Amino acid sequence: MTSDTKTNAAHPQVNWTNRETSTDAASETAIQVEDLCLYYGEQQALKNISLAIPRKQVTAFIGPSGCGKSTLLRCFNRMNDLIDNVRITGTLRLEGQDIHSKDVDVAQLRRRVGMVFQRPNPFPKSIYENVAYGLRLAGKQPRSELDDRVEWALKSAALWDEVKDRLKESALGLSGGQQQRLVIARAVAVQPSVLLLDEPASALDPISTLKIEELIHQLKSNYTIAIVTHNMQQAARVSDYTAFLYLGELVEFDRTDDVFTNPKKQQTEDYITGRYG
Amino acid sequence: MNPHISEQFDAELGAARNRLMEMGGMVEKLLRDASSALLDHDAELAEQVKVADKRVNQLEVEIDEQCVNIIARRQPAASDLRTLISIMKASTDLERIGDEAGRVAKMAIRVAELEYPADQYGDFRHLAALTAEIVSKSLNAFARLDTDEAMQTIASDEAIDDAYDELVRRRSSEMRQDPGSIERDMSLIWAARALERIGDHAKNISEYVVYLVRGQDVRHRAKPTGS
Repeated sequence: MTSDTKTNAAHPQVNWTNRETSTDAASETAIQVEDLCLYYGEQQALKNISLAIPRKQVTAFIGPSGCGKSTLLRCFNRMNDLIDNVRITGTLRLEGQDIHSKDVDVAQLRRRVGMVFQRPNPFPKSIYENVAYGLRLAGKQPRSELDDRVEWALKSAALWDEVKDRLKESALGLSGGQQQRLVIARAVAVQPSVLLLDEPASALDPISTLKIEELIHQLKSNYTIAIVTHNMQQAARVSDYTAFLYLGELVEFDRTDDVFTNPKKQQTEDYITGRYG
Repeated sequence: MNPHISEQFDAELGAARNRLMEMGGMVEKLLRDASSALLDHDAELAEQVKVADKRVNQLEVEIDEQCVNIIARRQPAASDLRTLISIMKASTDLERIGDEAGRVAKMAIRVAELEYPADQYGDFRHLAALTAEIVSKSLNAFARLDTDEAMQTIASDEAIDDAYDELVRRRSSEMRQDPGSIERDMSLIWAARALERIGDHAKNISEYVVYLVRGQDVRHRAKPTGS
């Protein structure tokens, strides 16, 4: 993993609308985390986490319940700001820019860093309106342009063929797996650079799960993806890098091939092989 | 290594490992008997080796099936995955050792028919002892997951290659001087060739031990790195 600190110095001002020119082209890091600590009141949930999430790769976060993996994921788009009594120290840079700096607009940050949750959460609106929602928020757009973007987003989420003839129907009529892909379409419609997936398939049946996994594989050519999963085989299948967290600490972060065949730390070994640690 | 949360998984892995050790013990005996049959002109013992080799082949199939089932049902990772891969690969090498012992037995039958004095095989006896030792040490290293012993065993294959080369040199020169010995010497060289290959297979098994324990692939290296 290469350090990305110099990109920040070279580009103090992030150009949110054009990520390709906003960073050092040689840098392969999308999100740089340095010495990150997070406290819920007095309780420390994340302890001195440092890692570099590579751009346009899939990074999986694994670990037992309560290890802090979802909390860490929510740091990447400042979702933890919505929770009272949370204090964060350390730095977190997206494409070189400190996301906690004063000139960062949080709404814009969340457009850059989309998020998908465990339970599909479509709005009680039509399929079309679900995908168009974020685009409308971003500003008024001509209908034809909106149509194009909705179609593109639904195609990106591998859902277009299944819904193209019923775009005006309620999104709530879709199956769980379709709803989750719709939510992914909604997230990609605003063209983020990072997609955060928090247990995106744990509420889905095996076939829908495989479709989501296949989608993740396709999406990584355009997006940096961070996924939290309890399913270790899923982490092994979909990710390029795996981070193992335990009790708020980052125990190991390495290429998935290495983590699942020859982890460096005994704690990782015990966890992924299902042993008492 | 800590036990699995699933005791059944520990039991399944243990059963596969035990089956491999059973196969190893069987192959050791085959090798010993095949060498003795040649050294002692014991054609009857040689016939027994050929029969017993069939049971070794059957064990290889059973071990493969056992490992495939565990992989399909448990989706093992890390050391568990390396254990299963190593067991499967080691069983293939043990099966080949069985085949090579069968070749030695075949040559033993041929030599026994030649009615030469049975005590003229000092070079073969030496090679057979070295080969039996490397097989035994490789299996011990596997049973105890002892990478130090595995490393020493890998290095000791060279002594077998040297002993084989020496035997070929001596027997070739004997054949030149006494063409009447050609049939016996050729049989001995074939049998020795089988032992030399057995040494290679035993070395492979030791290499799997290093892979299993350290996750390090030391095959096809001039010298494996230390621990």
